[in-house]
Amino acid sequence: MITNISFLLNGDEISYDVKDHWTLLHLLREEMGLIGTKEGCGNGECGACTVIVDKLAVNSCLYLAVEADKKTIETIEGLASTEGSLHPLQQSFVDNGGIQCGFCSPGMIMSSKALLDENPDADREEIKHALAGNICRCTGYIQIFESVEAAKEMGGHDE
Amino acid sequence: MKEFKYLSPTSVEEAIDFHGQHSETARYIGGGTDVIVKLKDGWMEPDFLISLKKIQEMSELHKNNATGELSIGAMVTHATLEKSLMIQNEYPIIYDAVSNIGSLQVRNVGTIGGNLINAVPSADGAIPLIALDGMALLHGPDGERSAEVKDLFIAPYKTILKPGEILKKITIQPQAPHTGSAYIKFGRRAAMELPLIGIGVLLSLDDDLQTCTKARICLGVAGPIPIRAFDAEKLLAGKKINEEILIEAGKIAADESKVRDSVRGKAWHRKEMIRVQVKRMGLKCLEIIKDKN
Amino acid sequence: MNNYNSEFSVVGKPIPKLDAAQKAMGRAEYIQDIKMPGMLYGKILYSRYAHARIIKIDTSKAKALAGVHAVLTGEDVPGKMKMGFIKDNPPIKKGTVSSFRDEVAAVAAISPEIAKKALDLIEIEYEELKGIFDPEKAMEKDSPLVHEHLKSNVLKMPWNIHYGDVEKAEKESAFVVEDRFTTTWVTHCCMGTSGAVALFDASENLTIYTNTQIPSLAHKDFLEALKSMGLENKRVRVIKPVIGGGFGSKLDTYAYEHIAILLAYKCRKPVKIVFDRVEEFKATSTRQPTVIYIKQGCDKNGKLTFRDMRMVLDNGGHTSWGATTPSVMLMPISSLYRVENVKYNAKCVYTNNTYSQAMRGYGNPQATFAIESSMDILAKKAGFDRIEFRKINKNQSGDETPQGLKITSCGLEECIDAVKEELKFDGKNEKSVGTGIASLIHVGGGARIYGSDGCGAILKMDDYGKVDIFTGGTDMGQGLDNITAQIVAEELGLLAEDINVVHSDTDICPWDVGAHASRSTFVAGNAALGAAKKVKKKIQAFASKLFDVPAQEIELKNKLVFVPGDEEKSMPIGKLLRKAHFRPGGTMLMAEHFYDPDNQNMGKELKGNMSMTYSFGAHGAKVKVDEETGKVEVLEYVAAHDVGRAINPMLLEGQVYGGVVMGLGYALTEEVTVKDGEIMNANFRDYKLFTAKDAVKIKAPVIETDDKDGPFGAKGIGEPGCVPTAPAIANAIYDAVGVRIKDLPITPEKVLAALKEKNG
Repeated sequence: MITNISFLLNGDEISYDVKDHWTLLHLLREEMGLIGTKEGCGNGECGACTVIVDKLAVNSCLYLAVEADKKTIETIEGLASTEGSLHPLQQSFVDNGGIQCGFCSPGMIMSSKALLDENPDADREEIKHALAGNICRCTGYIQIFESVEAAKEMGGHDE
Repeated sequence: MKEFKYLSPTSVEEAIDFHGQHSETARYIGGGTDVIVKLKDGWMEPDFLISLKKIQEMSELHKNNATGELSIGAMVTHATLEKSLMIQNEYPIIYDAVSNIGSLQVRNVGTIGGNLINAVPSADGAIPLIALDGMALLHGPDGERSAEVKDLFIAPYKTILKPGEILKKITIQPQAPHTGSAYIKFGRRAAMELPLIGIGVLLSLDDDLQTCTKARICLGVAGPIPIRAFDAEKLLAGKKINEEILIEAGKIAADESKVRDSVRGKAWHRKEMIRVQVKRMGLKCLEIIKDKN
Repeated sequence: MNNYNSEFSVVGKPIPKLDAAQKAMGRAEYIQDIKMPGMLYGKILYSRYAHARIIKIDTSKAKALAGVHAVLTGEDVPGKMKMGFIKDNPPIKKGTVSSFRDEVAAVAAISPEIAKKALDLIEIEYEELKGIFDPEKAMEKDSPLVHEHLKSNVLKMPWNIHYGDVEKAEKESAFVVEDRFTTTWVTHCCMGTSGAVALFDASENLTIYTNTQIPSLAHKDFLEALKSMGLENKRVRVIKPVIGGGFGSKLDTYAYEHIAILLAYKCRKPVKIVFDRVEEFKATSTRQPTVIYIKQGCDKNGKLTFRDMRMVLDNGGHTSWGATTPSVMLMPISSLYRVENVKYNAKCVYTNNTYSQAMRGYGNPQATFAIESSMDILAKKAGFDRIEFRKINKNQSGDETPQGLKITSCGLEECIDAVKEELKFDGKNEKSVGTGIASLIHVGGGARIYGSDGCGAILKMDDYGKVDIFTGGTDMGQGLDNITAQIVAEELGLLAEDINVVHSDTDICPWDVGAHASRSTFVAGNAALGAAKKVKKKIQAFASKLFDVPAQEIELKNKLVFVPGDEEKSMPIGKLLRKAHFRPGGTMLMAEHFYDPDNQNMGKELKGNMSMTYSFGAHGAKVKVDEETGKVEVLEYVAAHDVGRAINPMLLEGQVYGGVVMGLGYALTEEVTVKDGEIMNANFRDYKLFTAKDAVKIKAPVIETDDKDGPFGAKGIGEPGCVPTAPAIANAIYDAVGVRIKDLPITPEKVLAALKEKNG
C-alpha cells in the first residue's frame, strides 16, 4: 500500500514513499509541511486547494498523491523567486486588493497562473470562467479580477 | 479514507484481469473527481483501486475523416472536450454540456466516461451523447459489447455495466448535413452547479432548411435517469420547424417528464423549465443551422 | 471614479494590506496549519435527532480503541460550564438534545482518523421527542416545548418599544400600507473553517489558539470555564491566528473551544479541533430567520407618519448573542428616515432548529429588507416617485431620532443622488428591465451593547523611527492592521510600512470588546490615534528643547521632525529618538491610550445614542428578469456609502464589494435548507454562494462627510455593504415586471410563481 513516486515539485526533484490512499493535498500539507495549499471543503467545491499538475489547475483534495508520479507539480510556495521577489500574480494580488482574509488566495493565484500561462491575454469573461471554481467570501471577486488583469500587463508567464 | 492498493494497468485487458483477481474488493477509478469523494465519505471502501489513467487508447479523442465517426475515449477529460475546436464547431451540444460541469479544476481531471458511469440523474455529460445517438463500447471479462448511451442507465447510480466491465469509449456517427444541437443547464448560479434541469435538443433539417428529418429531445434531472422525450420528438419529425411547434414540443416534453420535488427545486418549476428550454434550445438549433448556411 | 482627499500623506492612500504578501506566498498560518509536539486531535459527535432524550451512552468501545486518549460525554462537563447569552447551553449536552447540532460526546486521539473512528464506536440510545420547527407555531399553546422547564417556547427577553403615538399617527395618515416579509437562514461560509488548539502549561494555565473576533470576551469566557473546572486563579491566554474570514461568526465562544479545553486538560496535551466543511455548515450559527409584519404610513405630502413592526425570530434550540439582534434592528426601524412614531415588538422563539448568531449587519439586513420594500410600496400607493419619497424623509445632520440616536455627519442624500445619477431612474428601461433603490443606516462609531465599548492601544517607538503598536482590535482580513498603521503613520509623519501592528493576543494586547458592529476603524482607530498623539506630543516636547522653538511649531512628516520654513531646524526622526534615549536620564517614547466612546447603553427604556456616529448609504440595482424562467440577472449595481473618510480607499472598496456580493447572495441565491431541523445542503454545491462567474459589475461611490469624532473623520463600513442589497433587488424586480417578492431568497421559482399569479 506504499508506492515510491518521483515528481518535480516547484523545480525540485522529489522522491517520496506515499501511501496509496493519500491525496496530493495530504502529501503536501500533512507530510511535507507545505501549508500554503489550503483545504476549504475537501470535496472539490471551493478551489482553496488548487495546485498545478502538468500545467493544469487541479483540486489537490481530489487527486491521489500516487498519481503525481512523473508529474510536474507547482504549488503556491514555488511562485516567488528564490531571491524573494513575488511572482507577478502574487504582487498584483497584493497591490490590487485581491487578498483579504487570504484563505482562498493561494488557490486563487494558482488558478490564475494556470490560466495566464495558457492564455496570457485572457479577457474578463475568460478569467471569470477559469476562476469559477475558486470561492471567495471576502472580496466579491472584483479586485481579484483586477489583480489578474493587472498581472497580465506585468508579463512573466510561463509559456 | 480507508487504505487501499492502487493499481495502474496500461491496457484494458490488464485492468479487467486485475479486477478479476480481486473482484469483490476492487473498484475502477477514472479521473477520480467522483470516486475520491465516495472514498472519503466511506460510500466506497475497496481494497484495490484500479486506475484507468495509464490506458492510452481510453484517453483518445479523434474523428475518423474517412467515415466521419467521432470517437471519444471514456478517459477523455471534460476540459479536453471543452478546448477541442472540433467539438466546439461540430458538436456544440457537447461543448455546451461539458464546459459547465463543476469547475475548471474538476474538468481538468474528470472524464466523460466517469460522468456517465457515475449515473447521477443530474449528469450533464449524458444528455448530449444521447441526443447524438452515441454508442457506448463496453469491455469486460466476457469480451466486448456495445449499447446505446441512452440505454446505459438503469437507476440512479446504476448502469448496465456488469462487474469488471469497463466503458471504453463512445462513438458518434456523422450527423446529417443540416443539423444543429444545443444544451442548457438550468440552475440558480452561473457556475459550479448541478442542473435543476438539463435540456439537450438536436434537430436535423431537410435541404429546404425547414422540414425536420430528425429530432432528439433529451432531459436530465427529469426522472431517475436521463430520458428522451419521444412524444415531443415524434411531433417534430417530418414537420416544418418554427417557434409555434417548438412551444408545443416543449409542452409535450414537460408532460412526458417525470420531474419530482427535491431539496434543490420544485417539480412544477422544473416542468416549466422543460417547456421553456426545449423551445429555446430548438430555436438555438435553427440558428446554428442557419449560420452554417 | 472617486476623488479621495489628498491633504494627507498616508491616510486616504490605497496601501496594500500589510499581511497580503505573506498570504500571497502561502506563508500565513491559520488554525488549520498549527501543529504542536504531542498534539492530539479532537472530534465532536452530534445528536442524531432534532429533539430527543438521551437514554444511554456507551463509550467503552471508543475508549478501548488504540490511540484514543479521552472520551467525554455530558456527564464529564462541569455543571457550571455553560455558553450563550443567558448561559443555557453546556458544551456537551446530557438529558435532552434540542437540535441536530447539539454536541453529545467528544474524543481526543492521536490522529484525526482514529478520532473519527472512535466517534463511530460511541453507542447512544435516544428516545425521540416531538420537535417544533416553525417559530410562529411554537408560540401556540399546545406546541411541543423545546425546554420543558421553561413552560413556554417564547424567550423571556421581550422587545417591546413604543416611541410617540403610533395609533394616533395611523389614524391621521393619508396612506397606510401593511405587509408580511420573511427571511431565512443564511450562513457566513468563512473559507477557513472554525477551530481551536488548547493547551495547558505545567502550572495549569491555559493557552488557546482560536478563530475568534472577540479575544478579550473569549478570555473572560475561558476564565469562567476554568473556574467551572475547579481551576481558580489560573491564567488564560487567547491567541487568534490568521483567520479565514469572520463576518460575525466568531462573536461568541463555542462548544468546540470549550471541548478543546476540557480534552486538553484531561489529556494534559495540546488538543486541536478543526471543523470540516460539513460541520462548519451544521454546527456554526446562521443569521436569524425572521417573520416580519410591517405597517407604515405617510401624510399627503409624503412625510412618514409612523412605522409599526412586529417580528418573530427563530431562536433555535439555544440562546446565543443572536437573541439580542432586535437591539440593532431597532436602529433602522426607529431611525432609517425621519419617522416620529415607532412601535416595535420582537419575540425570539425556541425551536428545534439550529441556533442563530451574529452575521454581518446583526439584524439590520432583515429589518431593512422589510422597511425598504415597504417604502416602495407606500411611495407607489401615495403617488410619489421612489427617489423623491426617500428624499422627503431623509435623515439629516442634527437630527435626534425617536430612539435617541444623534445624527452627526449624514451623507444619505448624497448617496441617494449618486445612485440616481448612475442608474438614471427615468422609467425608460427596456422590457423586463427595472431599477431599484434602498438606503441604510448603521452604527458607524461603535455600539455600546456591552458594558464597555472601548479599545486599548500601546505604542512604542524604537531608536530608528519604527513603531510597534499593540492594539486590542482584531484583524480578520478586513484590514484593521492597515487602518491602524495608516492612522499612526499619518500622525507621526511615518510610512505605513514603519508601523508593526500587533493584535489578537491577550497576553500582549490591551482589552477590546471585539471586531463587531463595524466599530474597529472608529474605536480601535481612535485608540491608536490617541496613543500616537501622546507620543507625538512627547516628540514635539523634546524637539522643542532641541530646536528652541515652541512645541506647537514642530511638525512631523516624511520621517523628519522639523520647524517649517527653517531648514536648520530639521532632524530625521530616528536621530531624534536616539538623542532622546542615549543621554543621562534618557527616555524611550511610548504611550498607551484607552478609547471608550461617549455613546450610550440603551438600558431598559431602549433609548439612547448607541453610537458616536452613524453610517449611511444607498444601493441601486438594475436587473433583468427572464419572464419565462423567473431568473433575475443583475445588470448593474451601485453601492454609495457615506464613510466619513476613506482611510484606505482600496480596502474600503473591498469591504463594499464583498458586502454587496454577500448581500446579493442573501437576496437571490443563498439559503440553508432546513427540513425538520436538519440541514440538507451542508456543502458548497448546494449552498449557493456567488461564484466568480456570478460576480456583477459594482460601482462604489464614496461620500466623505468628515465625521467630527472619527479618526481623521472616518466611520465604520464593515457591515453596511450587505445591508440594503436585498430590498434594492426586490424593488428593482418590482420595477421590471411588477411582482413583489416578500420572502428571501428571491429564487426563480418564487419570481415565476408570482408572475403566473399576476398574469393569471
